Amino acid sequence: MIQVNHLTKVFYDKKRGKVTAVNDVDFCCHKGRIFGLLGPNGAGKTTTLRILATMMTPTAGKVLVNGYHVVKAAHKVRQSIGFLSGETGLYDRFTSRETVRFFGKINGLAEQEISKRMTQIFQTLGMTHFQDVRVDKLSTGMKQKLSIARAIIHDPPVLIFDEPTVGLDVITARVVIETIREFRNQGKCIIFSTHQMHEAEKLCDEIAIIHLGKLLSAGTLVDLKKRFPVGDLEEIFFKLINKESNK
Amino acid sequence: MNWKNVRLIYCKEILGAIRDRRTLISMIVIPLFFYPLLFLGIGYFTLMGQEKSEALPSLVAVVEDDTAPRLIEKLEQDEKIKLVHLKENEEEALKAGEIYLLIEIPESFDIEKDQENDRSIIIHYDSTIQRSQIARKRVTAVIEDYRQQMIRERLEQIGLNPDYIQLAQEEWLDVASEERKIGIILGMILPYIIIILIFVGAMHSAVDITAGEKERGTMATLLVSQLSRLEIVLGKYFTVMTISATSMLLGLIGLSIAFLTPVYALGELSLIKAKFSLSLFFLFFLVLAPLVGLASAILLLIGIFARNSKEASTYVTPIYMSAIFLGMISLSQGMELAEPMFFIPILNNSFTFKELLMGTIHWRHILSTLTSNMVIALLALLAAAKLFKKESVLFRS
Repeated sequence: MIQVNHLTKVFYDKKRGKVTAVNDVDFCCHKGRIFGLLGPNGAGKTTTLRILATMMTPTAGKVLVNGYHVVKAAHKVRQSIGFLSGETGLYDRFTSRETVRFFGKINGLAEQEISKRMTQIFQTLGMTHFQDVRVDKLSTGMKQKLSIARAIIHDPPVLIFDEPTVGLDVITARVVIETIREFRNQGKCIIFSTHQMHEAEKLCDEIAIIHLGKLLSAGTLVDLKKRFPVGDLEEIFFKLINKESNK
Repeated sequence: MNWKNVRLIYCKEILGAIRDRRTLISMIVIPLFFYPLLFLGIGYFTLMGQEKSEALPSLVAVVEDDTAPRLIEKLEQDEKIKLVHLKENEEEALKAGEIYLLIEIPESFDIEKDQENDRSIIIHYDSTIQRSQIARKRVTAVIEDYRQQMIRERLEQIGLNPDYIQLAQEEWLDVASEERKIGIILGMILPYIIIILIFVGAMHSAVDITAGEKERGTMATLLVSQLSRLEIVLGKYFTVMTISATSMLLGLIGLSIAFLTPVYALGELSLIKAKFSLSLFFLFFLVLAPLVGLASAILLLIGIFARNSKEASTYVTPIYMSAIFLGMISLSQGMELAEPMFFIPILNNSFTFKELLMGTIHWRHILSTLTSNMVIALLALLAAAKLFKKESVLFRS
């Protein structure tokens, strides 16, 4: 469902000059699987996900999402994805229902379809009791549920989550994690970025460790442990990033 | 491009604006209530001050040595003048506002008896005090009456009819119509106010739906939707235009109410006397609509470029000040623009609008205004759409 080949993204910064945020990265994500991008801040996770979501264009490399090229068929890619990150805010002056309806409409759904999907999603995520409450009156947990509802209203086959549990309390984070798991069970292809080891360990079917724009290693947790027999995921992670930093 | 998507963005932004107290204040409260109240207030207090000053008798002190008894008598007979007798420090009393005027009749002034004597009377007043100016007007009238009486008497003494010296009497007739008179007053005030209304109305919403969205993180949700960047920019542009035009129209309604209130805002003239035809309203639209489009496009461009609302407000301030400056030029009466100057945005709007209010239709000026504003608005809108596609602008932090 997601195929990334030799992806490179270079920025030009006035102070730092040429900055390679993503450097020749390759990976694949499949249907019904959760692919985790694990890396510290500034590793290139967000840039990679933004390229997958067509918000940015790659400098080099080829990226296909649901079989569509992210540059040549950006519109088709956007039809296929649901995107959620800590940055994707909500409109404070809208209610949950208005928010989801608006995103249903801009994703090309008919009114009837929106109503049907909305009822279903609100019930699944336990949002019915606050569906008519304005966003600025919602708790953080409620807002995150609404962000998920907004991202999946058009039932996309691919879901992109950029650190979706950042800043959430443990209870809300757990709800988000459970919801992502549920999406995997529904057969969706999920790519998920985090810098929290336990989250990646618990949730991801495959993990890619990324640092300074480079993909250091990727595979299932079992594969990684076999390849780097130093202990748990945290130990593997530190071994890899220390090795890369010392180069 | 799908216009249905543009409409979706437009409806969403308008709904958001209606629910935003700050937008409502700048779009409705300020133009509909604040400006009219400001005008009414200024008019009311000026009028009250004038009426109060006119009602009061003018306290006038005279320093004389019984050399002009008939003048003193005339001053005493005037109901609006009250003579005050001070023994000393008359000038100090004038400066302190205890008296409003001081008439100094020198000892040598004796025209009532001796025709060859000193003829000057020294009058002290304070130009910064309205009551002193009113006293000056009243005393001048009395002295003129006194002078005319003296002339009549002297002519009679030598056997001449006073009418003998009344040569070339002038009579002034004003050919300006009431519409033109009101037009010149409106032409001075309105263009300037309208420019402010258009910018104030558009500023908050333009910044809020661009830089504000970036700041709140809601922009990313639009970028990953199936809307094209151009559809998003156009939806936002039409929103800013609607808010700006609403602010302008409500401002005009508010000001019309203020002007229709008798005398306060426009002196003796009333807006009722100004008859604007439907075709003139169409010309107003031709001149003002491109300005709304231009202001909206420029403000949107700034909002898209800025990192956050604070930065956008910093960039907007000099633009707003420049617009006010260009609008202020139209306040000066008698100033005329050279033909090429009618291609300068805002300046051309204010002058062409002023011409229309005064009943003059210069098609060349209207066309210059229309084309230059539309071209610049279009360029700004294209630049905004281009900026909206730039990653370095959308994701810079």
